[in-house]
Amino acid sequence: MNRRQFLFSGLALGASGSLLLAGWQFSLNPDEDNRDWVLSAILPALLYGALPEDATLAQAALQRSKAAVIDFTAFLPLSQQQQLDQLFNLLANRLSQLALTGHITALPALSVTTRLGLLNSWRDSYLLILQQAYHSLRELLYGAFYGQPQHWQQLNYTAPEFR
Amino acid sequence: MVDHINAALFSSDQHFDADIVIIGSGAGGGIAAEQLTLAGFNVLLLEEGAWYTRDDFVMQERWAYPNLYQEGAARKTRDQAIGILQGRTVGGSTTVNWTTSIRTPQPTLAYWQSEFGVNFQAQNDLKPFFAKAEQRLNIQPWPVPPNMNNARLQQGCETLGWHSSVISRNVNGCANLGYCGMGCPINAKQSMLVSTIPAAMANGARLISRISVRKLRWQGEQVTAVEAVPVDQYFQPRSDVRITITAKHYIVAAGAIGSPALLLRSEVPDPSGRLGKHTYLHPSVISGALFDEAVNGHSGAPQSVYSDQFVWPADNELAGYKLEVPPLHPVLMATKLIGSGAQHAALMQQFNHLQATIALLRDGFHPQSQGGSVMLDQHQQPVLDYPITDYLWHGIRRALLSMAELQFAAGARQVLPIHHDASLYSSWAEAKAAITQLPMQILRQTIVSAHVMGGCNMSSSAQRGVVDPYGRHNQLGNLSVFDGSVLPTSLGVNPQLTIYALVWRNCEQLIAELSP
Repeated sequence: MNRRQFLFSGLALGASGSLLLAGWQFSLNPDEDNRDWVLSAILPALLYGALPEDATLAQAALQRSKAAVIDFTAFLPLSQQQQLDQLFNLLANRLSQLALTGHITALPALSVTTRLGLLNSWRDSYLLILQQAYHSLRELLYGAFYGQPQHWQQLNYTAPEFR
Repeated sequence: MVDHINAALFSSDQHFDADIVIIGSGAGGGIAAEQLTLAGFNVLLLEEGAWYTRDDFVMQERWAYPNLYQEGAARKTRDQAIGILQGRTVGGSTTVNWTTSIRTPQPTLAYWQSEFGVNFQAQNDLKPFFAKAEQRLNIQPWPVPPNMNNARLQQGCETLGWHSSVISRNVNGCANLGYCGMGCPINAKQSMLVSTIPAAMANGARLISRISVRKLRWQGEQVTAVEAVPVDQYFQPRSDVRITITAKHYIVAAGAIGSPALLLRSEVPDPSGRLGKHTYLHPSVISGALFDEAVNGHSGAPQSVYSDQFVWPADNELAGYKLEVPPLHPVLMATKLIGSGAQHAALMQQFNHLQATIALLRDGFHPQSQGGSVMLDQHQQPVLDYPITDYLWHGIRRALLSMAELQFAAGARQVLPIHHDASLYSSWAEAKAAITQLPMQILRQTIVSAHVMGGCNMSSSAQRGVVDPYGRHNQLGNLSVFDGSVLPTSLGVNPQLTIYALVWRNCEQLIAELSP
């Protein structure tokens, strides 16, 4: 366990009570359900104002972005993949989520504005680890969304048709 | 291509032998492969990335970043404060760079001479090698009018009476598309991928792609073999197949993070204590500006104008910085723009009206600018630690001020320093007051780098360097380092032409020594 992984675990343990979480494994292993659950909660907040207003189109855009996140992360160094997986696992756990966000209500049950506020509070946190989590999620998710040609219409940009 | 071997296809252990093995196919490895093959050596060129050709270059970031860049173009320093763009494909960063080709500045060479005893005067003059590289790669001042992104930089400089100059580019038949960073789809960019590497292969050099060199075996004063593995489809090192390579001479050219990392993994002698140390980045900061007229920064040669107004300040206590522009593409812009939610979406909708200027800080020329350190993580993969000192922060704030002043002088409606506490400012006075107050802290101030240098620095003294002035390793006789990691400081210019010329010169010396 490197320092960063220790910090994530220590942070969650410290804030939510070591007795409750002592037996919980802060797994570095990928858990597809946890990842999907967290991305489903965070993407609509980060992309507020960028997603199509039509609910069906918005859902399709979210699915494309989620798939792009998954496709992309496989190219990251293993240590970064493990950190991301740990973050997803922590956020998907109600108690560690409480430690990281201050909310016991499950992320998806919070309003989009509250979810965005939570992310922004990480950016302004005095804890470097939360600032890093904000920036890494932000880059990963914006990269995934804006990498898709279907999402360029509002930029008034079209991919060059060279061939 | 007959002599291209894809290591990903290996299903059993392999062994290769050559006169000279070159680890890395970027600016250094590419030049060396051609020169050494022409001199009659049996050359084996190794590349961790894949062999792609123009038909693969679809001009889309979602394909280019994971497939052509280190760590999917998301490489970061250890504290994640600096994002690093570095190529990882056949041709290395030359396949994805923005084609800017500038000779090493005279003050940089003079500093190397005074601090590291590296003499580039008289018979050691690099000028003939700059000329050779310029001829080989068709490097010429860009004759086409700059795109609007670059034109605004030029216009701001002219209004303020600041220096600006047209950039020379290594292109031949360039269609002014603007997608150099995703691989040239028409083979106009004279990267190593389309110039020296195919020429070397036509003369008998072999290329192995998708191979990750894990270790140099050495004994006494000699390297005895290379240990390598194939990478998987995501460029992660595999453990099921082992590849060994033996050669008479070994050239490490894996870039200024990859080369020191390989030598660290190999635990080669390091009596100077400088291996993996003094890594420089040209730490760069960005200023966005909104114009009423379209800028369309995605279209046209990405870099065609620069300004050296601030790169060599008279007061050496001030960090110098070069002004250039980056291309603007959706992912690059979305990930670097500040804000989130509706605020971010609104800025993205101004995509075609955003101009961006970058300031590249010249690091390595001051006691408070001694660069970073390459270390290995638990998977033996490199991580760069790069502390940012007050000297650099001071330079960053001055750079943000210069860029805002320039953009307003060029007619910007609003200016947005890329700092997480900044907002859109509507006048130079407002921007100036705000920038003066911005907290200079990591992860508040966005910092990027596209130029990694140092970590195996050259010096005339073995106490002050990892290699000698010709790139020869000071302790292992049959080992050379031929890439940007030999640079003793940053350059103050984009590095490709310096690496071409230096490696060309070092190859001539090596050929003379190795030839019977």
